[in-house]
Amino acid sequence: MPGDLPAPIVNADSAPYWEGARNGKLLLQRCRDCGTLRFFPRYLCTACGSDHTEWAEASGRGTVHSFTIVHRAALPEFQARTPYVVALIDLEEGPRMMTNIVGDDALDVALGEAVTMAFEERGTEGAMVPQFRRGAGDV
Amino acid sequence: MARTSEIDATAPKHLQDKYAIAGIGETTYARGSGRTTRALACWAISNAIKDAGMTPADIDGMLSYSGNDSTFSPVIAGDLGIRPNFFMDVHGGGSSTEALIGIAIGVIEAGMCSAVVVFRAMNGYSEVRIGGTGARSAVPVSGDALHDRAYGWQSAGQRFSLTFMRHMYDYGTTPEQVAHVKVAHSKHASNNPKAYYKKRYTVDDVVNSRFICKPLHLLDCCVETDNATAVIVTRADRAKDTPHRAPLIRSVVGRCCKPRPEVHYQHGPISTVAGHYAKDILWRNAGVGPEDIDITGSYDAFTFTAMLQLEDYGFCKKGEGGGYVSSGIIELGGKRPNNTAGGHLCEGYTHGMNMVIENVRQLRGEVDDSCPAGPDGRKRHTHDYREGGCRAVKDPELTCNMGWATPGIGSALVMRRGD
Repeated sequence: MPGDLPAPIVNADSAPYWEGARNGKLLLQRCRDCGTLRFFPRYLCTACGSDHTEWAEASGRGTVHSFTIVHRAALPEFQARTPYVVALIDLEEGPRMMTNIVGDDALDVALGEAVTMAFEERGTEGAMVPQFRRGAGDV
Repeated sequence: MARTSEIDATAPKHLQDKYAIAGIGETTYARGSGRTTRALACWAISNAIKDAGMTPADIDGMLSYSGNDSTFSPVIAGDLGIRPNFFMDVHGGGSSTEALIGIAIGVIEAGMCSAVVVFRAMNGYSEVRIGGTGARSAVPVSGDALHDRAYGWQSAGQRFSLTFMRHMYDYGTTPEQVAHVKVAHSKHASNNPKAYYKKRYTVDDVVNSRFICKPLHLLDCCVETDNATAVIVTRADRAKDTPHRAPLIRSVVGRCCKPRPEVHYQHGPISTVAGHYAKDILWRNAGVGPEDIDITGSYDAFTFTAMLQLEDYGFCKKGEGGGYVSSGIIELGGKRPNNTAGGHLCEGYTHGMNMVIENVRQLRGEVDDSCPAGPDGRKRHTHDYREGGCRAVKDPELTCNMGWATPGIGSALVMRRGD
């Protein structure tokens, strides 16, 4: 079923991010001038405006900042997945990212609890989308 | 780069009360209008021109907003016989009404035109569904949308629910408390013959309705309807010629943003909304504070949006919005009723303009409820707010509208009773 969900259409800002995901890595951008980490990929540092950027691998651990359980999807591809969890994760490294909580116990998710990165295949060409599951297990 | 706190957006004092809402116009609030947005716009604008005691030749400015789901001003101008000296059709939904009223003041003040009609025409049920289903869901998921829509995060309810859930976590706000917004607005709508939903609801009705996306139940969500609405902005001295006591504009804020509005949820406390920033402009320019306001019009795309804005504009302390909306204050007969026509939850969905129109009616003392009319044709309001009865507030002097686009973007408007 995830094969029907939207697959990445890569743009110039995000190409390394999606290449990292394909290899099982969650990549953040780090400013080479001030060291600030940012998500999601974009051209300029959100703290100092510099365009000197390098990529840093995240640990894949974080906590749930907030979530919603979707019972009615807008995109038809997601209707078959309802109810599903959309969550904001505060990554261990600082940035906050959007994700789904996946796994059999996803609907039991709670604010403030630990989550761990997982990946979900999308499309037919091996594209991977970063996801999270409940608990502080192995990445 | 200037920080938000360093920007002085204080308006020149000479603009306070210098502009007025000279006329208001609506269509019916329906599902399946059977009309084009072009026809709906002409209908509402004609009503507004008539209400203002004007003719199309008196209107020389036009402003509209839409999400590519409406008809542009030059087309409507031709239909109605308006020759614009100025027009602009902008992209946007909620938070646009107040912002465009502010723009209207600006272009009149700049000498570009003299009377501006602001309109929103939409088939929000029968053509482009506001909930994000249908045509709106067909846009490809690419670019930055990979970080939100790729996770099934698209509709307004989904986009705002992360803020609602975090507010419950941070402040102990409960779904039952917030359900009182629907209870209040449904009471108001039951006294509004034009409202799409006139049925009164209880807290149990709301929290027992099915989930759309947690914490939003079906009855926490607004209605989708087909309609057009219009208001006419002109100088206060010119509005003295209208048949009504035209309300004056004390203060306006347009599309004030949280930091990094496009990804506001990635930064800072997400249980705080744009009103936190807008309030400093609104109250300073108005010369009054929330305690002076008689009626509020807090945007109710969802029960939670009304609550969050009332809190962040200072009608209660931060974190106490749940207690405020469940205290009876926001109901007719309470200290400061909110959305007395029923708002988006019950009357109809207009992207904010019907809430401004209702406050204009309240300030004019001309609420269109079921109260009997006297020999002069004017209603004799009973102020008996039982079902099917009156919805006029007694002698209101000041109203405050709070428009909502997202948690990160909001607009506001303070009006006072005309002289």
